[in-house]
Amino acid sequence: MKASRRDVLIGGASVAAGGYFSIGARAQNVPASRTLNVVKSTDLRVFDPVWTTANITADHGAMIYDTLFGLDENYQAKGQMVGRWDVSEDKKTYTFELRDGLGWHDGSPVTAADCVASIRRWGEVDAGGQLVMSRAQDISKKDDKTFEVKLKEPFGALIDVLAKLSTPCLFVMREKDAKRPGTEQVSDNIGSGPFIFNKALAKPGVSFTYDRNPNYVPRNEPPSGMAGGKAVKVDRIVWQYIADSQTGMAALQAGEIDYLERLPMDLLPVLEADPNIKVDILDKGGDDAYIRVNFLHKPFNNVKARQALLYLVDQEGFMRAAFADPRYYKPVKSLFGNNNPISNDESTGWYKPGGDLEKARQLFKDSGYAGEPVVILQPTNSPWQDNASQYLASILRKAGVNAQLAPSDWGGVVTRRANKQPIAEGGWSMFISLDSDYSHGEPLTTSFLLANGEKAWYGWPQDDQYEALRSKYADAASLDERKALARQMQARWWDFVGAVNIGTRQSPVAYRKNISGFIHIPEVIPMWNVKKG
Amino acid sequence: MLNYLIRRLMSTALVMLLVGLFVFLLLRMSPGDPAAIIAGDTATPEVIAGIRSKLGLNDPLVVQFMRWGWNIVNLELGNSIFSEQPVLTLLGQRLQPTISLSALTLILSISTGVIYGVLAARRPEGLVDKSLTLFSALGFSIPVFVAGYFLVYWFAIGLKWFPVQGYTPIEQDPVRWITQLILPTITLSLSYIALIARITKSSMLEVMSDDYIRTAVAKGVPERTILFTHALKNAGVPVLTVIGLGIAYLISGVVITETVYNIPGIGRLIVDAINNRDYPIIEGVLMLCSGAYVLINLLIDLSYSLIDPRIRY
Amino acid sequence: MASSNGLSELGPQEPGLKFIGWKVALRNPKLVIGTLLLVALIALAVFAPLIAGDPLALDPFRRLQKPSSELLLGADHLGRDVFARTVFGGRVSLLVGLASAGCAIIFGLIIGILAGYSHRVDAIVMRLMDGVMSLPTILLAIAMVAISGGGIGILVIAIMIPQIPSVARLVRSVVLSTKQLPFVEAAVCAGARTPRILLRHILPSTVAPLIVQSAYVCANAILTEAGLSFLGAGVPPEIPSWGNMISASRIYLPVAPWSVFAPGIALAAMVLAVNLLGDGIRIAVDPKSRRR
Repeated sequence: MKASRRDVLIGGASVAAGGYFSIGARAQNVPASRTLNVVKSTDLRVFDPVWTTANITADHGAMIYDTLFGLDENYQAKGQMVGRWDVSEDKKTYTFELRDGLGWHDGSPVTAADCVASIRRWGEVDAGGQLVMSRAQDISKKDDKTFEVKLKEPFGALIDVLAKLSTPCLFVMREKDAKRPGTEQVSDNIGSGPFIFNKALAKPGVSFTYDRNPNYVPRNEPPSGMAGGKAVKVDRIVWQYIADSQTGMAALQAGEIDYLERLPMDLLPVLEADPNIKVDILDKGGDDAYIRVNFLHKPFNNVKARQALLYLVDQEGFMRAAFADPRYYKPVKSLFGNNNPISNDESTGWYKPGGDLEKARQLFKDSGYAGEPVVILQPTNSPWQDNASQYLASILRKAGVNAQLAPSDWGGVVTRRANKQPIAEGGWSMFISLDSDYSHGEPLTTSFLLANGEKAWYGWPQDDQYEALRSKYADAASLDERKALARQMQARWWDFVGAVNIGTRQSPVAYRKNISGFIHIPEVIPMWNVKKG
Repeated sequence: MLNYLIRRLMSTALVMLLVGLFVFLLLRMSPGDPAAIIAGDTATPEVIAGIRSKLGLNDPLVVQFMRWGWNIVNLELGNSIFSEQPVLTLLGQRLQPTISLSALTLILSISTGVIYGVLAARRPEGLVDKSLTLFSALGFSIPVFVAGYFLVYWFAIGLKWFPVQGYTPIEQDPVRWITQLILPTITLSLSYIALIARITKSSMLEVMSDDYIRTAVAKGVPERTILFTHALKNAGVPVLTVIGLGIAYLISGVVITETVYNIPGIGRLIVDAINNRDYPIIEGVLMLCSGAYVLINLLIDLSYSLIDPRIRY
Repeated sequence: MASSNGLSELGPQEPGLKFIGWKVALRNPKLVIGTLLLVALIALAVFAPLIAGDPLALDPFRRLQKPSSELLLGADHLGRDVFARTVFGGRVSLLVGLASAGCAIIFGLIIGILAGYSHRVDAIVMRLMDGVMSLPTILLAIAMVAISGGGIGILVIAIMIPQIPSVARLVRSVVLSTKQLPFVEAAVCAGARTPRILLRHILPSTVAPLIVQSAYVCANAILTEAGLSFLGAGVPPEIPSWGNMISASRIYLPVAPWSVFAPGIALAAMVLAVNLLGDGIRIAVDPKSRRR
């Protein structure tokens, strides 16, 4: 954190909030011209954005909850609920003061106690939150509007972590909700955000309705990412769930819905040719797709076999099989994604368009691979992962590997991948998934980037040297220092091969041309500032 | 008769209980951990373990079974693991679309199918009969979703006669209700019409050559009366059976049709619940489905004796 | 159950299975066409490796390529040869369809006849059948595939089980009607033993409706497999089956219709063959329909 930020008074809301009153009798009928019908990428199944890492729930959280800080478009942390903040000379005590006008949807005011409880709960489950808790000596409220974080030692990244966009984000909840353990769901849906969750119209699996919060006081700054004023420009937003992407597309073309996520990529030209529809990319950074391999068992417990995979991969082939439209994908060579400050080109000599089949074959041989089965978890209800898995199996077979696909639905995959046993006992060898490109620029909090063995994410990569570099990174004071460390970490990673990149894709959304004002940031899709007509 | 009815009703309850027990065991044995699905892709294993224990999924099977049984005894179906809403509430929200779609499909396919079958039986190898052979081959062989997409592209996007998708409750806007349901109903009816028409035809052919029909023809009874009164009545038993059997078949079709047309019915509720491993919803909905099915078939069994007095209970 | 009902004008008309000779076949074009079509489809499936290339070879760079002399029916979304997959796909679809239908008919027939004939068996077995049948096929299949980790054998069992009650109930309803008929009662009076009555007098009368039903069961099994693939729990996506080919390609219908039409037409031809065969056999064995 730059010193210049100290004692900066960040313009809070100047408008004093009127008295809150209970918003019980809300109009159930809102004119169509003031209602936005959106179709989200998936079904909102869980309401608590701290309980789950699912992005859809983070979107829901961004509607009804507010955050202490928000990252702006340039990934700079700015105060959101926090009006002003201060750090002591020894950089060990941070004091935060809430801005005026914050109130819960149930009518009560937001207090410092709510914030303290929310940080603690988030600190139980989120990797970034756990980092904060491990560095903190105490987090306590000073008065109704002020709370402080006392650290054991200086922690330069504190504000950045509090503002992090990767899920679960630090959404602030009422103290009584936040007192529940992080492993138990909060489903009252009472936040202090710009939208109010309409309980009466909630139909799980069908649609959810959010009404404009008439008492929300936005900040004065223009909106920028999760920072700035969250001014709501429609009266109601209805989230529908349409299971079939082609049906969703047809509904958009017919004008039955205003906005659609998860487009069928092969049919994009149809949407692009439609004069009433705009195809847009809200997250320019996109998502980095990768192959995780199981470090615990043959053959990928051998570094040579993992290197073989690295050389075998043809990112272009994977992207074409999985994401179809070349305009929306590109290779990713850096461990830290394509668009982050610490993205770099260290040790990326392995990258070769088309892959290097001969070298991969040789490395598999050197690893002592002798035809053991390699099991690829294949989620059949996620088309891109399904297709990429089949492609992976085909290139592995070309390299002489006994690749077997294990098809199941996504629920089966997430269960089986937790199994640390050998393949004969229900274990696995590899699976394919993706994270936002943005999150791969956060080595402290992104589970993909851990290499601490059994405590790491699925695949359980282990490399002590890399981990030593990563813990140094946490204390790095400047961006240049972080960049230098990132290069070293990347050199190490591509040497022991913790996981293998298969490319970056952007996922376009489409909306009717009379809709505008979308906020372009990774991970979360905010709906304030969006207007119709 | 009354005795029979009571016995059947009691056995219905037994069937539902058996189904519930079966589904309970099946689900607990199947891989798929709701906690891992809840926590999301990037959650750490510790968090998932924490969620699992809070949900009570780590408890011994016996304990979970007792909990489930206690709910059943109290006529409760529990709450969704995910949305934490009562299963009955969720079910209530989804009942109308499914019943609407199924009822319209039954009406369309029984009326069309029976008439088609009778007309085909009137002149075997005639034009109607041949068209039925072709129609039933197509009706059976085109999967519901392919037919669905075809109809959507043709009638909703191309000709813009009908909405593409969605459902409007009948009390909100009956006109929109019916226009939104027309394409799904046709989609779902295609194979069902083919089935009923075929069965009607073959059963009619069985009885058409019987002596009493010949007698009726000889007596000069009008053809329409012979076909739709004398013959159809006697051909009724197999037709009714197939309609009864078709109810379960209909449920499978409903699942897919609801997905294609984005109709928020029971079918979608079950599929989503299976994908999420939301046990209470799966158990509750299936028990009710099976109960409804058994009851419908009880009604059909009873109506056998109405149609064919030779069958008595 | 009433034992006598004065419908004696219905004279004994004991239908029986007769040898299907050439003469009959020639007068029965449905039987001939159905058989030939089915034989052709089976031959295509059996000799697939001689006819077509590798159905698994994928090449993302020829994704959704149009039909050409090299790729007779174009490529699918993973650049696989649609012609090869269609030819090989017949193996799975035929296996699933015929195996499910065969097993369902055998079990259904046994259960149905016993239930229709014996009141005691009826009470127990038909309630059990109700239970099985009241479970939507799709869920049962998804659950079974999930538990066992997939595979075509499990799929056949999962698709077959829900078909049994449908056959059983149909057979039972025919038996219920038939056993009231005078010729059966005559046989009982004449002192025929139960197995003989079942085999000689009741079984034949179930044949006609059963053949119609078996065509339906076979078609339904193939379509169920397609529906399961639509929901992601069918034949593993890598293995070509007409059902999962249509399911996987359905979203490319506007841009790559061949990838849907090829397996779709094959599927329609298969069901048509089964239907014609069913009709043909019915005409051949049923004296009532032959009389006209």
